[in-house]
Amino acid sequence: MTDKRRQILDMLASGKLTAAEAERLIAALERGTAMAAPAGEKLKYLRVLVDTVDEYDGPTKVNVRVPMQLLRAGVRLTGVIPTKARDQVNEALRNQGIPFDINKLTPDNLEEMVEQLRELSVDVDNDRAKVRVFCE
Amino acid sequence: MKAEILPPLTASVHVKPAGWRFGIRLWLPLFLIWLLLLPLFVLALPFLFVASLVFGFRLLRSLGAVMAVLAGFKGTKVEVENPGTRIFVKLN
Repeated sequence: MTDKRRQILDMLASGKLTAAEAERLIAALERGTAMAAPAGEKLKYLRVLVDTVDEYDGPTKVNVRVPMQLLRAGVRLTGVIPTKARDQVNEALRNQGIPFDINKLTPDNLEEMVEQLRELSVDVDNDRAKVRVFCE
Repeated sequence: MKAEILPPLTASVHVKPAGWRFGIRLWLPLFLIWLLLLPLFVLALPFLFVASLVFGFRLLRSLGAVMAVLAGFKGTKVEVENPGTRIFVKLN
């Protein structure tokens, strides 16, 4: 039993979730696991699936696939920023309350962050729209 | 030249507007656009070189990064479908 499934069942047992909510969460968890790329395989795409009912156009489906290579390539652009400009960017981020150093954004760190996206699964389901975001 | 650093060379576009019985399928040779832009890029090279000296960025690394970003678009797919219209775009 995975930690997430156990967490959902614990919340159900303690009355924090109804049975219907727990069932929906477990189903979403299973969908996310099924869609996640097998461990060891490099993540290739970020997928966004939208299934909505528009009041003028009727049922509309949107399917977007963006290569993760674009994200990896974008990191290389930070390497061409002059040092002076990088310091200014870092200072501006700090002033906004974001303690992030763009010098630490390297391909290795990015690969680690991308790897964490392997289990990313955003699932929105209501009467008007279903949205799924995941990496494969 | 490695395939990983080449930008998308072709694009597949399928469009079926509302009310049309058949859609339009297009295969766009994007490599022709890159070929058309190549002479402009060669003309701009001296200016880019001067800019790199003035602003202090490495020209070759910058060009490599831009090529990598363009190459990153390969495999992008966008599909929008509703009862009347269908649009499909894929960069190869």
